[in-house]
Amino acid sequence: MEEFKNKNPFKTPERYFENFNGQLLDKLSEEPSVVPKNEGFKVPENYFDGLYANVRQKLPREQPKVISLGSYRKYWYAAASIAAIVLFFIGVKWNATDEIGFDDLAISDIEAYFNESDMDLNTLDIAEIVSFEDLEIDDVMTTSIGEDQILEYLDNHVDNIEELRYDTDEY
Amino acid sequence: MIAEETLVSQLQQKSTEAAAFEILVDTYKERLYWHIRRIVLNHDDADDVLQNTFIKVFNNISKFKGESKLYSWMYRIATNEALTFLKKASKRMSISDGELQDRLIGNLEADPYFEGDEIQLQLQKAIATLPEKQKLVFNMKYFEEFKYEEISEILGTSVGALKASYHLAIKKIEAFLKD
Repeated sequence: MEEFKNKNPFKTPERYFENFNGQLLDKLSEEPSVVPKNEGFKVPENYFDGLYANVRQKLPREQPKVISLGSYRKYWYAAASIAAIVLFFIGVKWNATDEIGFDDLAISDIEAYFNESDMDLNTLDIAEIVSFEDLEIDDVMTTSIGEDQILEYLDNHVDNIEELRYDTDEY
Repeated sequence: MIAEETLVSQLQQKSTEAAAFEILVDTYKERLYWHIRRIVLNHDDADDVLQNTFIKVFNNISKFKGESKLYSWMYRIATNEALTFLKKASKRMSISDGELQDRLIGNLEADPYFEGDEIQLQLQKAIATLPEKQKLVFNMKYFEEFKYEEISEILGTSVGALKASYHLAIKKIEAFLKD
């Protein structure tokens, strides 16, 4: 009898147990009778017929073909030369002023950008960009905390405030 | 019907892109519309999102490398566009996603493009109680009749997880409607 015990003559189809959970869920999720198939949504008449034209209108237009200036070429060169000279002087004057940099952006504009953009930054993302050493408490808090408030908090939440005292040598 | 590879190749060439794009829009407009409409509920919003979806497809078709099927790539764009649309709407109105869903369902009763009765209104309320992923899976399986393998390619979730999500969604909706 012992020899029969260790030999199982039955087999299962390939990957039967791997697929079992999925097949069970399929059976359990068979079409429910109480959920209607019609949702009640409808669309305006001929809506789909006009869709392509509406989308097409919003696509970037092709660049118009360049028409050769032909006999006007010499006038074109003269006009271009004058324009280049004028632009050169304007450019010299323009460059005399400071270039616009990051510092010129208003804080409110930067805040508005972060608020209105869908960047979905979470604390983990921020932590990956900014190292802990570079962070100051003021970077994450809009109102500053006074020393009195910190002491009051510690007083209320730490059993023995004296234990928190340390000398820099301890590090 | 034109083969997908042929359509993609025509879309990626300047000389054939316009004609191919018209075929693409005609082929997918209704399916994508209903997919989006089930997320945003309102026709005008669905129209905006659908048009943006096609514009994004047109502008990015040169980057499409054929690593996934064209339809699943377009469904991904449509899903992202619809969900982003809702997120922006709730942010603009300074309300939570749940509150926005309540408002959208509340508006259905006065919507000229919704002719559902009380049961269909209850169904929308039931769907609104589901988490985002379950909602998508339920709509795609129950109404759009996708296979799990297709949903898996679009949403990037394993078939096993999708089956579990769908089962949970069905149970919750049934319980809601029976109450």
